[in-house]
Amino acid sequence: MMACCETACPLWVDAAFSAVKIALAMGFGLQTAAFLTWVERKQSAVLQDRIGANRASIFGFKFLGLFHILSDAIKMMTKEDFAPPQGLKPWHTLAPIISMCAALMCLSALPFGASVELFGRSWNLTPIPLEYGVIYVLALLSVGVHGVVMAGWASGSNYALLGGLRGAAQMISYEVAMLAIVAGPLYLYGTLDLAQAAAWQARTWHGLPLWGIVLQPLAFILFLTAGAAETKRAPFDLPEGEAEIVGYFVEYSGMKFAMFLNTDFLESIVLAGMTTTLFLGGWHLPGQSHLGLSGPLLAALGVVVFVTKLMGVLWLLMQIRWTLPRFRFDQLLDLGWKNILPLALVNLLVTAWAVHLFS
Amino acid sequence: MAKLVKFKLNGKDVEAPEGQLVIDAAKDQGVEVPHYCYHPGLGNPGVCRLCVCEVAGAPKPQMTCRTAVKEGLDVKTDSPVAKRAQASSLEFHLANHPLDCPVCDQAGECHLQDYYQRFGLYKSTVREDKRHKEKRKDIGTWVMLDQERCIQCTRCTRFVDNVTKTHELAVFGRGDRSVLDLYPGMRLDNPYSGNVVDICPVGALTDKDFRFSVRAWYLDRTPSVCTGCARGCSVEVHTNTKRPWHTGGRRVARLKPRYNPEVNGWWMCDEGRYGYKSADAKTRVKGSSVLGTDGQPAQLTPADAAARVAKELRELCADNGPEGLAFLVSASLTNEDLFALKALMKRLGVPLSNAVLAPGADQLGEEDALLRRKEKVANLSGAAALGFGVTKGPEALKGKVWGAWTVGRAGHGSWIGLPFTLWQGANAVRGSDTARWVLAGAHWTETDGTVVNFSGRVQRLRAAVPPLGESAPAWAWFGSVLRALGGAFPHDDAGSVFAALSAAEPAFAGLKFELPKDGVLLPKGRPEAATA
Amino acid sequence: MNAKHTVAKVRRPEVRFQEQIYLIEVWKGLVITTRHLLVNLYRHLSVALGRGGPAGSVTTQYPDDPQVTAKRSRTRHRLLKREDGTPRCVACMLCETVCPAKCIYIQAEESPDVMVEKRAKTFKIDLGMCVFCGYCVEACPEDAIRMDTQFIAFPGMTRKDLIWDMPELMGDVKKDPKPVKAVDPLGPAAS
Repeated sequence: MMACCETACPLWVDAAFSAVKIALAMGFGLQTAAFLTWVERKQSAVLQDRIGANRASIFGFKFLGLFHILSDAIKMMTKEDFAPPQGLKPWHTLAPIISMCAALMCLSALPFGASVELFGRSWNLTPIPLEYGVIYVLALLSVGVHGVVMAGWASGSNYALLGGLRGAAQMISYEVAMLAIVAGPLYLYGTLDLAQAAAWQARTWHGLPLWGIVLQPLAFILFLTAGAAETKRAPFDLPEGEAEIVGYFVEYSGMKFAMFLNTDFLESIVLAGMTTTLFLGGWHLPGQSHLGLSGPLLAALGVVVFVTKLMGVLWLLMQIRWTLPRFRFDQLLDLGWKNILPLALVNLLVTAWAVHLFS
Repeated sequence: MAKLVKFKLNGKDVEAPEGQLVIDAAKDQGVEVPHYCYHPGLGNPGVCRLCVCEVAGAPKPQMTCRTAVKEGLDVKTDSPVAKRAQASSLEFHLANHPLDCPVCDQAGECHLQDYYQRFGLYKSTVREDKRHKEKRKDIGTWVMLDQERCIQCTRCTRFVDNVTKTHELAVFGRGDRSVLDLYPGMRLDNPYSGNVVDICPVGALTDKDFRFSVRAWYLDRTPSVCTGCARGCSVEVHTNTKRPWHTGGRRVARLKPRYNPEVNGWWMCDEGRYGYKSADAKTRVKGSSVLGTDGQPAQLTPADAAARVAKELRELCADNGPEGLAFLVSASLTNEDLFALKALMKRLGVPLSNAVLAPGADQLGEEDALLRRKEKVANLSGAAALGFGVTKGPEALKGKVWGAWTVGRAGHGSWIGLPFTLWQGANAVRGSDTARWVLAGAHWTETDGTVVNFSGRVQRLRAAVPPLGESAPAWAWFGSVLRALGGAFPHDDAGSVFAALSAAEPAFAGLKFELPKDGVLLPKGRPEAATA
Repeated sequence: MNAKHTVAKVRRPEVRFQEQIYLIEVWKGLVITTRHLLVNLYRHLSVALGRGGPAGSVTTQYPDDPQVTAKRSRTRHRLLKREDGTPRCVACMLCETVCPAKCIYIQAEESPDVMVEKRAKTFKIDLGMCVFCGYCVEACPEDAIRMDTQFIAFPGMTRKDLIWDMPELMGDVKKDPKPVKAVDPLGPAAS
């Protein structure tokens, strides 16, 4: 689309608008990640008949334990930042930064809303509108592997190294699968631009919204599965394996550890955003034309709808996490290479055939 | 030997010497008849009436300790009549017994407890109050009396009447008012008084030394030999290692005589009985040391000590000749120790006559006709059998020596200041601190080995506890110095040393380290020189 | 006896096709966890809004709410005294002997009272090692040791704090925090 560049606006307006969008997207990601630490505790507690973290209080107000986010942050920042003496300190420090930055950058490519016409020009609500957004996100997700391997290697610990190698094997395996999976819907939408992919799904067929989940149900399931594995979420959280097999960040503490933790949540948000965009119609609300909204209000509704869908997917990911036991590593790789990848390729072939047939 | 006759025991045909007591004949057949007053060493007065059994032809149950075996006798020890008679008898004994087992030291090894479980198990019909008599009566140096617990079996009075012949105790009064007590003006302070505690079947006589320290069931028991005198009484070493706080960390809790008809019978003297305390005494030497130039002892590891002593001995022997080195050795050392010493002396070139084993003034004491011997060392005969001189004192060597190696006995005053003075032993004694070298020796309760008593009987010492600290048995010290000098000493336990000893020494030829529990006589008899 | 051994064959449950494809089972699991989540959310809300109903969680907020024990549970030990205030214990060592955790340490001494004869010089229980089996109470011939109910918390900052000597065990030195609430599992809550 690249609407901004086509108008005769001064360059600084575009630059400022982009900066604000990116800051908002990253801020949204970080806030949501912090919020997710609370959700993870509380959701598991409620479904397991417990109460969950509720001791942090300010002047006696506990507020459902929400202050634990704050106390955790203070704790993480004031903890000793320990680097193992046998490790490589610069790389040890760099690893979580790489991981987290990659995840944060993914966020900026998510289409939070459609374009809005205002003040005589079109404002694109995607922080970084790209014609190849899907490739951008998948590429940055795979940059996260570097952080994982670097963390394992720079820790100077065999456990961490093995954890890092496990993580690399897992993430690279599922990257391949991810690309094969998204190939199907993208062939259908005929674009690599995330915003256009979302816009494509706004069409309906006899009142039924033609979302990706309707047209590509197999790809949706495969995408969620492979996405959970790619972002190292349960039931595929083997690289961490806190208690049993010890993961790549065993030698991390304090804020660096918190950055790895946040990376996981940020990647979950990215995954949820991608799922929303590619399969759940993005900012599209079925029947929104009946509301009679237009202009900025419609765009605002789109943002709210997108964030709500994103949250819903996050909830589902959490729920899956607290439902399924962890996979074994051989089962994990079997699932990726022998099941998901062939199914994704079949899906792609069938999609291509069908698209060719109907167009 | 009386002729063997056939009789019936519990319906079985058995053989026994004619005239033997039925209770003993039954015991030989593995049938235990409960008894209190009868003791093979004290006679059979028949006052406790517990050993009653059914004898065919007799109108009433008969006491098996008063019935002699004869041809055709038919005894039933476990028939209903016999059992009922025994249980009733036991009930009489327990009628006035206070049952203060929780505070009684005898609990756990008490014949009343054992017999009630095995032969009694009746329901008490006594509703009246029990007799109250004097509790906690201090009657002698080592013994505490509780008159309430006494069942008047008279074992102790017969012991002081017949064995020690000192007549301190008697039963006074009649019926349920009869009490065990001292004769007026007397105290139970004969040198064998501790034995009355052993023979008392209940907790009436208890040991003041052992009182309230350890419950009997916590003790480990190791058969060994007392090294207090040349008698070499068979003893049991009772050790408490499971609950060290009960004895305040002391490992050896008490000694008990072990029945050996050839040496000590059932008895042992108080001197030996309470001599165990040196095992955990404050005087124990736990580590080896050498006096520095500043006069202060510096600690040495065992390997260091052996190597440095060997180096110094080699140099001094080379400079002054080995004839000037004297060994002052306690004759309580085991045969294994002395055998290793002999090898060491041979290696150094020291003549055997330089070893002084004759008991010093502090190793001689009282003697009596019962058990105690004048020489307060355990292995004088063994030393003589191994070829050591055991009569000559150290005076003959005076002025001719440049070094003295003292083992387990007081140092010799005139040798202070010699170029080489070494003291080795378990407990610090007079003069041990003036020696330049100190090697930590193991106590006899920590030692495996053999000793030969005054009559030429070889008996086995067994280690009841491991050596304290870095102390080691004497043979190990001699062996490691010998090895440091370049000699061969391929032994790491006393059994291995004894095997070499019995192969090398004709006096011990053919003996095995696992001796019978009563010991054996030396094959060639007692060496003549074995008296001081 | 026949020397042949027979090996019991255990039939493992076969994995059916619908279980193999896993998705249906995942869906079933999700239904269960989501039902729990929603039901508990409703209960939490109901309690929070004052409408009562069952609680959404089984958690006891321990230091705030009293811990509840069964009325008949036996917890921390107590050494009993005679009428004159001296301990009933005669240091017979039976409790120490029977103790399966070996957490009782007694040292005996002569008692000045001739009718008592023997008494404990020290009587220590390492509550950090105790398994609260109650054998000591059963073994005691003098009824000198009992176990109180309601006292399950005796925290200490070091392991040594958990070794109680006679003054603490007899109650002369108070080491208890507030007692917990005991209920009769078969009846209404006791005081």
